Amino acid sequence: MFNPETIKQQFPIFKQKTPLGQDLVYLDNAATCQKPLAVIDRITDFYAKEYGTVGRSSYWPATETTKNYNEVRGKVQRLLNAAHVDEIVFTSGTTDAINKVANSFLRPRLNAGDVVIISEMEHHANLIPWQQICTEKGALLKVIPILDSGELDYEALESLLTNKVKLLAVTGVSNALGIKNDLLRIIKAAKGFEVPVFIDAAQSVAHSEIDVVALDCDFLVFSGHKIYGPTGVGVLFGKRERLREMAPLSYGGGIVKEVTIEAASFQQSPNKHEAGTPNIAGVIGLGAAVDFINEIGYAEISAHTKAITGYALEQLKAMEGIQVIGDVDDRAPVISFVMEGVHAHDLSTFLNEKGICIRAGHHCAQPLMHRLNLMATARISFAIYNTKADIDALIIALKETQAFLL
Amino acid sequence: MNDRIKALYQSHILVNAKDTSHQGKLEDATHVLEAYNPMCGDRYTVSLKIVDDVIEKATFDGFGCAISKASTAVLTKQIEGKTLVEIKPFIELFHELVNELSDQSPESLTSDEDLLAFAAAREFPERKVCATLSWEELLLSLRGSMMK
Repeated sequence: MFNPETIKQQFPIFKQKTPLGQDLVYLDNAATCQKPLAVIDRITDFYAKEYGTVGRSSYWPATETTKNYNEVRGKVQRLLNAAHVDEIVFTSGTTDAINKVANSFLRPRLNAGDVVIISEMEHHANLIPWQQICTEKGALLKVIPILDSGELDYEALESLLTNKVKLLAVTGVSNALGIKNDLLRIIKAAKGFEVPVFIDAAQSVAHSEIDVVALDCDFLVFSGHKIYGPTGVGVLFGKRERLREMAPLSYGGGIVKEVTIEAASFQQSPNKHEAGTPNIAGVIGLGAAVDFINEIGYAEISAHTKAITGYALEQLKAMEGIQVIGDVDDRAPVISFVMEGVHAHDLSTFLNEKGICIRAGHHCAQPLMHRLNLMATARISFAIYNTKADIDALIIALKETQAFLL
Repeated sequence: MNDRIKALYQSHILVNAKDTSHQGKLEDATHVLEAYNPMCGDRYTVSLKIVDDVIEKATFDGFGCAISKASTAVLTKQIEGKTLVEIKPFIELFHELVNELSDQSPESLTSDEDLLAFAAAREFPERKVCATLSWEELLLSLRGSMMK
């Protein structure tokens, strides 16, 4: 029987009190998740008991490290249901993966007058890399607009698609609003024009099952630290033929076949795309995070975060002076709201006094905030360890904030 | 936040954040400053009428949190009548007041409660930038063209 309290006990940070002596109520999981002991121990054990380099050396412990490192690639392949293990490339995170695909895939294929499509709800990380290359090449960056509900305007997308489009990059979930996008519909429409599709899954992988074969996306990226893993590691899934036709994401050691002063030839992907000594401990820790998710299972994870999100929405909507942003009930575990008369940063500071962590601001999605005519919102986002008691503590603190500030 | 600072926050920062007496644009402004924090989007336009190196009038408009709004309101109220020469040490005093690393107690720096309330920022170093947003912009302008 799933019990969030026993899950919470697996996260050491919740065993201590905040500096002001309260229990920690952590509601900023869309920014980053706390770490279970299994992940922390795995990283410690790696450094303490089996540390070595990968793919270069024929001695123990490097052989053990190489085996474990490559096993994580298989774990991620199965997590995403990718067809081939060599479709998984480790990066330093989502932002790194997006920049690398922008440089290595898009840049050589983009010409003046071509089009790249993104959406109005993108995180800056899934906007600026494409924007900069479009500017450099004289290409057009077109935007799938959002409706007043916060959902994408799918009909508008269909009118943007032409054979001039060289890439469509879109998020699975709005990091600011929690709106879930209909990726199957988007990808199907794009495929009608043979447009490669890039999915930012940074907000998706922690909560919902991903199947890159069923989606038929060309690229999909996410970060380790948002799925209970360590910082500094991320994943780029790319279809085998895409990764093979791309130049190395960066150049250096570990990716070559033969090198002379004049030229170099390269190994096949994924090795081709992982120059230099990688973040080995990060990858090992990511493997432990994938195991953690698999042990609970997506069915339980999705059901729990959905229930907590529903409960939080119900409680927030019942409050005076609170406006929830985005008019959808079936959302990812992310809720943005505005407290009438109170700026989000002031709210965040007051909640911090109660041991409650929320995010305030534009959530690295300024174009979306402009579209919604908002300067800043308060955002709460949930993970597997959040409980109804966390929401109750939040609601009490919101009422105290109103009493103090208004 | 100690109780006294907390009380000042409620009685002075929140009151000043709602004070509209210095809000608006000056028709006869001689200088207009833009104070913007890209991290949070807070943005104020500060209008000044400076005659013979004396700030005769100061107003602001814009959007931001209670701390940045109150600090901009207090700034515009308190610099009126000051000379450009007097403003620099005044801004430096304010910076010292909100500096969590300062070895001077807030009370030893000023007895003005409108200013003293911002010493609460010492407890929230991440909010210091809210308190100093417009003050910093004015200091930069003083160092730049305004003094020439």
